[in-house]
Amino acid sequence: MKALYRTFLATQVTKGRLAGLGALGALAVVLGVALGAGDGDDPVGAGIGLVSSYGLALFVPVTTLVFASAVLGEPNEDGTLVYLWLRPVARWRLVAVATAAALTAALPVVVVPMTVAAAATGAGTGLVVATLGATSLATVAYAGVFTWLGLRIRRALLWGLAYILVWEGFVAGAGGTASLLAIRAHARSLLARLADGAPELVEVSLATSIAVPLGAAVTALALTVRRLTRQDVA
Amino acid sequence: MIEVSHVSKWFGDVVAVSDVSFSVGPGVTALLGPNGAGKSTLLRLLCGLTRPSQGSVQVLGADPRRDPALFRRLGLVPQQEALFEGISARAFVTLAAELQGMAEAGAAAASALHQVDLDPHDRRPLATYSKGMRQRVKVAQALVHHPELLVLDEPLDGLDPRQRLHLITLFRRLGEEGRGVLVSSHVLDEVERFGSRVLVMAQGRLAAEGDFHAIRELMDNRPHRLRVRTDRPHALGAALLASATVVGVWVAGPAEVVVDTLDVARFRLAVAPAACAAGARLLELVPLDDDLESVFRYLVGAGARSAR
Amino acid sequence: MSDARIVDRGYRRYDGPRLGVRGAVRSLAWHSALRALGLRRTFWAKLLPLASVGIAYVPALVFVGIAALLPDQLVQGGGVLPGYADYYGFISAAIVLFVALVGPEVLCPDRRHRMLGLYLASPLTRDSYLVAKVLAVVPVLALVTLGPPLLLLVGLTFAGAGPEGFGEFLTVLARIVTGGLVISAAYTAVSLAAASLTERRAVASAGVILVLLVSTVATSALVAVGADERLLLLNVGAIPFELVQRIYGQAGRTPIPTAELVVANLAWTVGAGAVLRSRYHRLRITR
Repeated sequence: MKALYRTFLATQVTKGRLAGLGALGALAVVLGVALGAGDGDDPVGAGIGLVSSYGLALFVPVTTLVFASAVLGEPNEDGTLVYLWLRPVARWRLVAVATAAALTAALPVVVVPMTVAAAATGAGTGLVVATLGATSLATVAYAGVFTWLGLRIRRALLWGLAYILVWEGFVAGAGGTASLLAIRAHARSLLARLADGAPELVEVSLATSIAVPLGAAVTALALTVRRLTRQDVA
Repeated sequence: MIEVSHVSKWFGDVVAVSDVSFSVGPGVTALLGPNGAGKSTLLRLLCGLTRPSQGSVQVLGADPRRDPALFRRLGLVPQQEALFEGISARAFVTLAAELQGMAEAGAAAASALHQVDLDPHDRRPLATYSKGMRQRVKVAQALVHHPELLVLDEPLDGLDPRQRLHLITLFRRLGEEGRGVLVSSHVLDEVERFGSRVLVMAQGRLAAEGDFHAIRELMDNRPHRLRVRTDRPHALGAALLASATVVGVWVAGPAEVVVDTLDVARFRLAVAPAACAAGARLLELVPLDDDLESVFRYLVGAGARSAR
Repeated sequence: MSDARIVDRGYRRYDGPRLGVRGAVRSLAWHSALRALGLRRTFWAKLLPLASVGIAYVPALVFVGIAALLPDQLVQGGGVLPGYADYYGFISAAIVLFVALVGPEVLCPDRRHRMLGLYLASPLTRDSYLVAKVLAVVPVLALVTLGPPLLLLVGLTFAGAGPEGFGEFLTVLARIVTGGLVISAAYTAVSLAAASLTERRAVASAGVILVLLVSTVATSALVAVGADERLLLLNVGAIPFELVQRIYGQAGRTPIPTAELVVANLAWTVGAGAVLRSRYHRLRITR
């Protein structure tokens, strides 16, 4: 499986993607440093605001979308999936390795700059740990969901962006029951709870805020395995 | 090795494969048909890449759609050109060997690349490879695990004559070793060199199957159309009719007569004496329907006629 | 006399009227607009553009419904319904998504499928081709930038909660049209400029979304921690909306003078337009 993992990684991690997403990460650090240089009354609140509005609302889902939607989506569209599909390998293994590769690509690109940005705000260790936890959790959840999306539909990047903007940003952003079904809301809840900040839109227990995104990832992975087993391969 | 029973496959309103039944054993079998005949769809059905709309497919005793373990005994060269562009040929074939569970994947990949006349030490990414090299990489990944059955979709496409000969020899050798090799092509001459057994597809249906020479004989029973250029087409046409070697004649131009004959050999013997008798000069004799398309049209027509 | 004839089925000349450059521009703009909305295409091609248009109208319908149901005094008293200028705050996600869809859909496929050469073999030049594309995108974007506040105005007027008097009605109407066009112009330019940089629609769409959202989040965060307010002039995602506030005579969210906002909005529009034109003029068309 090592060769498969390396292949998935090599096909996803392109210079263009790394440059674009790296720039977004660098911007997060700049924003963190700027926040740290300011003299606000509530550094923890401001830090949570930065991680939440830039990281969890935009940087984390978009970066994970770019890698995860491509990992099975691109081979499926360009016809190279046949070289993986037509092998005596359990379908769940293919999906697990693909998702692991997407996570390997996305986690450092997302978590490192966001954690550095959180540290740079000067809001304390609590925010750093909370950022590490919340962005990692969100990346894992989005990786599962967007790996499935990439295999399921063409132009998954666009549909993924629509999901991030319309569902997570617009519908679930308004609060209420819909927000319970948004990864972002749970990650924000975890962030606020771990950093001892003001409560977020969704007030759920710590266990729920972790279990729901992980549940979404596992469900999406199961759907990806099912899809890979049943679909036609070009 | 392959048992196909009343298989049909349709995509929406388009019928790609229609009620096809045949079986394939060890040795090389050529799947012949013009573009759009349904060859690729049939090969995809055999490998489980798509599900039949009707009928059943058994490959090496298993259902390729349900049993991924079968792929350990099966190799496919798909039609599409796309490969993992950023990696080397060695890495690509090693990946195939690893996924096949081979212990010495690197060595197996080197051997497979060597078999198709490619350098296993070439570190360039596949994106830099020519079409012919890409085709050979595809063949290498299909045979790296020594499958019992090798399915190849137009594997000679884009190869130069020397490489074609090399691969044809390789396929024949694999066939002689007792492996099943099913190879599709739309080029008649190419198929003739693979071996004697062929499956002929046209318009989604199986038009003929069996020994190549027997099918050629069947093809030779069809009326042949030839064009004769002459200075006296009317006189020559009349003389040819009188010779009873043609079943139809028409004057197609001021210096041209077109004939239909059931026996080309007899016609060739008769045409010069007939021209001599008619006082006509023979300027040119050209067969008009020796292309593959016309052969298939005939075969499909023959199938329809025998069904009636 | 025999009535037999041989029908010439060979090449035929076109004998109809020739509409010239104008006709070509009109035709390309019309078909590009239809394509952008997914009309005459598959269900999946329609879904995203029409859904984002739909989302943009939902708040307007809700507000009109509230105005019709609640007592007049409560509505007229203010505070219950948002103002016309504030309406965009409810639909900014839908506008951003729609903008990200439309520009790339209108430009990218022509280059990806090697159709551009065919268009330029017609009376269209590179400039008139781009004019046609702009003429397609501006009215399509107006569907989300102009349509919803217009619906709100008409709906509230019928519900008895609209502007008082015909003069006031016309003033609000003029503000809505100006505001809608300001947003459409800037976003058209940004969307088309991003689409001119890549052949892949999804990548261009992602680029548009990132430019609009990242500029908003980043500049707002920097200004919030004490950076110069004028940094917001880099925020192409928010400048048009800030300008809309000024068009309605409101203070807006920043103390930046209106003239500077106008110049910044113009600069973004012209700058993005220049990128677009430059890309198309330097494009090598091989087939």
